[in-house]
Amino acid sequence: MSLGVNAMKTFIFLIIVLIAGAFAGLVHGSANLVLVEPYLDEAIGIENQNLFDSGEEDDTLEFWVEYEGYRDWQKGGQLLAGVILGTSIGALFGIVFALSRHSLPGNNNIKKALILAGIMWLTIYFIPFLKYPANPPTVGDADTVVLRAILYLSFIAISGFAAVGFYKLSKIFKGNKKVVALVGYTVFISAVFVLMPDNPDEITAPIDLVDGFRIMSVLGVSAYWIAVGLFLGILWNRFKPNKEVPSFN
Amino acid sequence: MSQSRQINLSKSGVPVIAIVALAIIFAVGLFVVGFDQGHIFSIAFGEQAFEDQFIHELTHDMRHAAGFPCH
Repeated sequence: MSLGVNAMKTFIFLIIVLIAGAFAGLVHGSANLVLVEPYLDEAIGIENQNLFDSGEEDDTLEFWVEYEGYRDWQKGGQLLAGVILGTSIGALFGIVFALSRHSLPGNNNIKKALILAGIMWLTIYFIPFLKYPANPPTVGDADTVVLRAILYLSFIAISGFAAVGFYKLSKIFKGNKKVVALVGYTVFISAVFVLMPDNPDEITAPIDLVDGFRIMSVLGVSAYWIAVGLFLGILWNRFKPNKEVPSFN
Repeated sequence: MSQSRQINLSKSGVPVIAIVALAIIFAVGLFVVGFDQGHIFSIAFGEQAFEDQFIHELTHDMRHAAGFPCH
């Protein structure tokens, strides 16, 4: 196989991974505009009221004009940030899919990609979310943001690397004994869940607002994972970046 | 004319250069949306970038919605 053909297959692989991620990110951002934005507006409304009550801001027309412009900017950023984050997570998804495609169950690339998306959704999103759930504005002390970021990222990394480690371990076992690795991951991540510190910030916002926001947040992120699995599977079937490159299989 | 040189491949057969490129995109994208508090623009604009938090504000809603600590 010539260098040129290999390079072309590599280029196609990169492009379909990035396109799948970017469009899934657009789905995520669009879903958030419908699902999450009403809760963000309500939460920021509480923040504004707190500013008025404390005297830090005055409830004037000038304030609201500036506020509306500011919120339009943030809402518009939802789509752009969705594409950036979607491309970023999609890049990780593409790496894992390419490395694990032959080991994934399913008789076509769409099923394989959706199964992997489900596994990654669970291990690097939903389990970390259960420990450190998303919060709307009004929840969170600025002084603890670095600590919270470290805790959240650490939990994601631990869960993700543990999943890979126990998957490698499962290859040692045959048949039904492979379930030992699944049990091992479950026990390990449960221990990490209990041992890692909780979010240090107190929730002062109305609990209905916080719960509603969290449910919509999960729905938005879940829409992303379904979309990225579907898009990459479809594009992989269409462009077959592994085909005719024996070493890519 | 065909060249005999091959692109470096990982053990599983995926080109290493592709893995490296995607890993960089993953890390940069995650930092931009999830964690930047003015750091990137501070390269060009100095301390003012930490006050303006341009990227933070742009990604604010997605940051909350995706579960990242925002402020």
